[in-house]
Amino acid sequence: MFLALREIKKEKVRSGLIVAMIALIGYLIFILTGLALGLAQQNTDAYNSWGFQNVSLSDSANVDMRQSFMTKQQVGHLSKQEAVVGQTSVVAKAKGHANSVAVLVGTKANQFVAKSIQLTSGHRSKNQYQVVADEAFKQAGYELGDQIKLNDGQHRYTIVGFTKNAKMNVAPVLYGQLSTWHGLKSSMRGIYASAVVSKNANYRNHQSGVKTYSKQTFINKLPGYTAQTMTFELMIGFLMLISLIVIAVFLYILTLQKLPNYAVLRVQGVPSRILVGATISQSLLLAVGGLLIATVLTIATALAMPAAVPMAFDLPILGSVGFGLLLMSLLGGLVPVRSVLKVDPVSVIGG
Amino acid sequence: MAVLSIKHVNQVFGTGTARVQVLHDISFEAEPGTLSLIMGPSGSGKSTLLTIAGGLLTPTSGSVSLAGEPYSERARQERDRLRLNEIGFVLQAYHLLPYLTVADQFKLVDHIKPKTHLTSAELASLLGTLGISDLINKYPGELSGGQQQRVAIARALYPDPAVILADEPTAALDGERVATVGRLFRQLAVERNKAVVIVTHDTRLMAVADNVYQLQDGVLSANQISKSES
Ligand SMILES: Nc1ncnc2c1ncn2[C@@H]1O[C@H](COP(=O)(O)OP(=O)(O)OP(=O)(O)O)[C@@H](O)[C@H]1O
Ligand SMILES: [Mg+2]
Repeated sequence: MFLALREIKKEKVRSGLIVAMIALIGYLIFILTGLALGLAQQNTDAYNSWGFQNVSLSDSANVDMRQSFMTKQQVGHLSKQEAVVGQTSVVAKAKGHANSVAVLVGTKANQFVAKSIQLTSGHRSKNQYQVVADEAFKQAGYELGDQIKLNDGQHRYTIVGFTKNAKMNVAPVLYGQLSTWHGLKSSMRGIYASAVVSKNANYRNHQSGVKTYSKQTFINKLPGYTAQTMTFELMIGFLMLISLIVIAVFLYILTLQKLPNYAVLRVQGVPSRILVGATISQSLLLAVGGLLIATVLTIATALAMPAAVPMAFDLPILGSVGFGLLLMSLLGGLVPVRSVLKVDPVSVIGG
Repeated sequence: MAVLSIKHVNQVFGTGTARVQVLHDISFEAEPGTLSLIMGPSGSGKSTLLTIAGGLLTPTSGSVSLAGEPYSERARQERDRLRLNEIGFVLQAYHLLPYLTVADQFKLVDHIKPKTHLTSAELASLLGTLGISDLINKYPGELSGGQQQRVAIARALYPDPAVILADEPTAALDGERVATVGRLFRQLAVERNKAVVIVTHDTRLMAVADNVYQLQDGVLSANQISKSES
């Protein structure tokens, strides 16, 4: 540590450059992780907010709630743990606003899904023509009391409340009554709901034509969800690998330059342990410095980003990414240890 | 008894046509309290001999003992420890770590925890003798060659070693400084009972030596000038 600290202090420019490089790599990975998580959340936020464990859908729906239609009989008996929802994609239209794609979710006011909606302003839907909208509508300029039309229908729906983080498949949600959904699906006779969700992990719906899935299976089957997450995971994985190589090469060159110094120390009888310790602790110090700067940059970026950019930060995930980078630097610092151990003290004698 | 003893050492570099025998059957002893000078022209094998004496190079044949213990065949860690505690090296190219200030060069030794080292009062007086007391916060890059050499000498003496091996310690010094450094080495031998071995071609140091040897083409001359005997 002593040697490492003194060297960093003396070689400010060189150490600064390496810290800057690690900081930039860390920043890039942090931001990418934030974007990946943000996007993933926009796919699933609304579902997560309901807090369900299992979901029953019609078996022809290919695990897609929008394609699922259940009759009253298929819904079957519901306990307090269950709730019915109707889900459909809609185009919301209003004077003075561009048309926007949204997801209408019909709920029953006395069931847990409706109760899970956290209002940021306004009140809950009290009849078929009142909806609670995701804050994305607010950001788009809508206000409480504004009226919208859905698809080509003639009915007007009033926004009576706003709620946060209600997104499905990256589209904002409009929460209405189950009857709101019925109104939009009136052409389909005998249809009662899209799905039954349950807080009970053991819930099974045994009606014919119905299948029950765990929440994770359902989320992974969301259109595009798995492909998106995998793309990001691969990108982050490759970045980690490339940063390992870059950091390792830098630290290797740094160490090679110092070998004559190490040879002198060996002549003086300084044990290899101390030299190896100096190399590794220097790598770690530089990496920690870089990661701290990356964290500060990331926080600054997160604060400066407009709300419309989907970005989310999760401490455990960022923590493990940071730890991964630290591990990479440690590996990078270990590569030159062999040269340090092999350094020939005789090389500095004579002349 | 000799603290450092070299017996029948041969050193060969390379093989086949590139084979060079640099040292021929060298035997040599250094007693505590004496200053030995090994003189010889450039390329005669002085540095090689010193490297072997310090345990940095295992000779092709022959043995090196430190305080009666065979040293050249020990494990590397063991030799590191002995070198740290018992041998003070002053290198020809007086290397100092570029990123440590003069004060930190000594602090580093404290960190490695040698068996003993000079007290701060002793160090202060050593630095005073060498005329480098006011350079303590400077980096080696900010010092002249001669100043660096004196710091390197102080650095080698700091762990209070039994044997001091110096390779051309006066190469960068002017006449007056040579006399000072010569006296310092002399003092170390006499007052602190060290075995001091200096390889050099600087004849100015002969004045302070107890024994003077000649190294010519790898042969340590028999006709040594032993002042104590003459
Ligand atoms: N590792 C080595 N491989 C091959 N030859 C070597 C090696 N080290 C030294 N030599 C040769 O051994 C001879 C003696 O070298 P050495 O460095 O001991 O001389 P020296 O007396 O210290 O000279 P100088 O006064 O110039 O420092 C030289 O001819 C040198 O080329
Ligand atoms: Mg030499």
